[in-house]
Amino acid sequence: MITEIAPAPQRVVSEPARPRGGRRAWDEVPRWQIYLPLSVYLLFTLIPFYWILLFALRPAGSTSLVPWPMTLDHFEKVWTERSFGLYFQNSVLVGLATLVLTTVVALAGGYALARFDFRLKRGFMLALLCSQFVPGALLLVPLFQIFAELSMINSLGSVILAETVFQLPLSMILISGFIRNVPPSLEEAAWVDGCSRFAAFRIVVLPLLRPGLIAVGSFAFVHAWNHFLFALMFLSDQSKQTIPVGLNTLMNADSVDLGALAAGGIVAAVPVVIVFAFIQKWLITGFSAGAVKG
Amino acid sequence: MKINIRRSRRAALAVALGSVLALTATACGDDGSGSGKSKGAEGSGKGEITFWDNNGGVRTDIWKQIIADFEKQHPDIKVNYVGIPAANAQSKYDTAIQGGGLPDVGGVGTAFLAEIAAQGALEPLDGRLEKSSLNGKLSENVLGTSKAAGGGDTLYHVPTSVNNGTLWYRTDLFKKAGLDEPATWTAFYKAADKLTNAGKNEFGFTIRGGEGSIAPALDAMYGQTGITSFWDGDKTTVNDPKNVAALEKYVALYKKNTPSADVNNDFTKMVAQWDSGTIGMLSHNLGSYQDHLKALGKDNFRGLPNPTLDDGTRVQVSNPVDGLGLFKASKNKAAAWKFIEFAASAAENSKFNESAGQVPVNIDAAKDDWIQQAEPTRLAAQALNGENTKIVQLPYYLPDWNTISKADNEPNYQKVLLGKMTAKQFLDTLADQLNKAQAEWKQNQG
Repeated sequence: MITEIAPAPQRVVSEPARPRGGRRAWDEVPRWQIYLPLSVYLLFTLIPFYWILLFALRPAGSTSLVPWPMTLDHFEKVWTERSFGLYFQNSVLVGLATLVLTTVVALAGGYALARFDFRLKRGFMLALLCSQFVPGALLLVPLFQIFAELSMINSLGSVILAETVFQLPLSMILISGFIRNVPPSLEEAAWVDGCSRFAAFRIVVLPLLRPGLIAVGSFAFVHAWNHFLFALMFLSDQSKQTIPVGLNTLMNADSVDLGALAAGGIVAAVPVVIVFAFIQKWLITGFSAGAVKG
Repeated sequence: MKINIRRSRRAALAVALGSVLALTATACGDDGSGSGKSKGAEGSGKGEITFWDNNGGVRTDIWKQIIADFEKQHPDIKVNYVGIPAANAQSKYDTAIQGGGLPDVGGVGTAFLAEIAAQGALEPLDGRLEKSSLNGKLSENVLGTSKAAGGGDTLYHVPTSVNNGTLWYRTDLFKKAGLDEPATWTAFYKAADKLTNAGKNEFGFTIRGGEGSIAPALDAMYGQTGITSFWDGDKTTVNDPKNVAALEKYVALYKKNTPSADVNNDFTKMVAQWDSGTIGMLSHNLGSYQDHLKALGKDNFRGLPNPTLDDGTRVQVSNPVDGLGLFKASKNKAAAWKFIEFAASAAENSKFNESAGQVPVNIDAAKDDWIQQAEPTRLAAQALNGENTKIVQLPYYLPDWNTISKADNEPNYQKVLLGKMTAKQFLDTLADQLNKAQAEWKQNQG
């Protein structure tokens, strides 16, 4: 019976040696030399966001540089009149289903790549990498025909499957990297204690993969959330459209309602910002762990 | 331990089952039948048809009203509305032509009519129109443009709306400067100069330098020279010396009388800049009327058709015509045609164009009160049908037209604005490409 699971070995990164008898050079840099460039960069990055907020919150026709008087009319318009409420639900469904499917399948595939040796393994890895170079637009017609054969055109399932398929190669490569970082001896110890391979994976390996899984899952979610092409091409029914397609419908051939577009942009961005705010710690750990060859 | 293993199995089973259920629940789709190669059928004239709106979103509400009116009059036909973002309509059609899933009826504008017709996806409509109540009720000029855009003498869509190039100007700024309306090119250049005070960020004009810049440049060029045909035999007139001189004069406005940001401005940025800044004139089309109304208020701007020559002659390039196409793959063409006839009828065409802010193609609809009250639309309708107006038909029928007039030459036009290429070099390059494309097209036509 396993009573304790050894923690995953952590790489020890030694701090750079301090110069003798003095503060580190870093501490000697005047603060303004650090904060001034950072502030300029931050300003440069945040101005477009402020601009979006400004257009979304100020009344139509206003040229004020501050969102005052403030109005939520644009949000109300996109959420109700332009069906963003419905698009939002669809995008959440597509994003979550892609996340689950991608993570589950990539886990299985990544485990196989990390733990088993088989013929053409290197070729398979190479093929996975190469598949990343094929743009989705190139495969639109074949995918369309496949989904048509499966009677899946105009169903969210087609978008979920297509997104999952496109996410899998990178996710599998990343997860295999995470799994390689977990010493096989941990699993072997569990087998000795009577676990099956699956149980050992579930009890020993899986908990150690949490940062990696969060990284891969969030990557899959965000990509599916933002992706426009598959939803546009495979879905026709208005009630099945997703947020990126909805955003594009706010742009007429000859005129654009900038207030509604900005409000729609915020509706589209907020979930992604929230997801990243919660997971950024694991995301950085996950990607850096997967980046190291085991 | 056993409990853990059982739990893990249950979890795995739940995930697998959940995934299958989720996909099953979301997989209530269709087989996307109806590719460009399918011949379709006339059908019973009853049942369901699918309509793709090529300008979905902004026009969704008005189309839903028209569909509701239609279903009330034809209770045995149900129309499924699909709104497609304007920028992606052509790629959606192209994918469906290759892969299947074409609608019965679709909004097909002249910008990509030839390309879709060339793939054999559209039903010729001359015969149906001849027997229809619409016969004689559609503007002959616009029908001519539609046929030309389709690549010959065949009608591939029933035109519903026509846009027109419009010179929007700020009446408040003109009044303050004591300027007359910019009805002629002479008045236009005078106003552009007088209204510019770059130090105060005030400009006379905003020029389109980003995406979609070629058609407005051609419009300004032909408008100034009075050349009325795009072709002189098999050679294009775009690089005629008079046109070169006119373009040189027009692009010289850049930075002198326009904001320098114009070099990258597509219509969205150009319209937003005009609506929120202090700029005297903007050359766009009727489509931005509502934007100006919201931003400036009805008393501070006007929209005129493009300026005339000093003798009152107006020359303008052909404007995009929107229309409804009947797809060959439709298995219910009879019902689909009923819908097209209904949507192009006077009452519905009027309703649609009032909402879209465009000129109705149905001549009875064009007489309605709202047009008389909406000055820019009324003036555009008069200009389109006026005796003094000559229309230079742009070669929308060339399969390469979109590539030539966009990706191939927009960067060159930016070089002209920035002074890195001369107007002559630009127009010679454009002419060379157009002449080759025309020769190829003629060869393919046999």
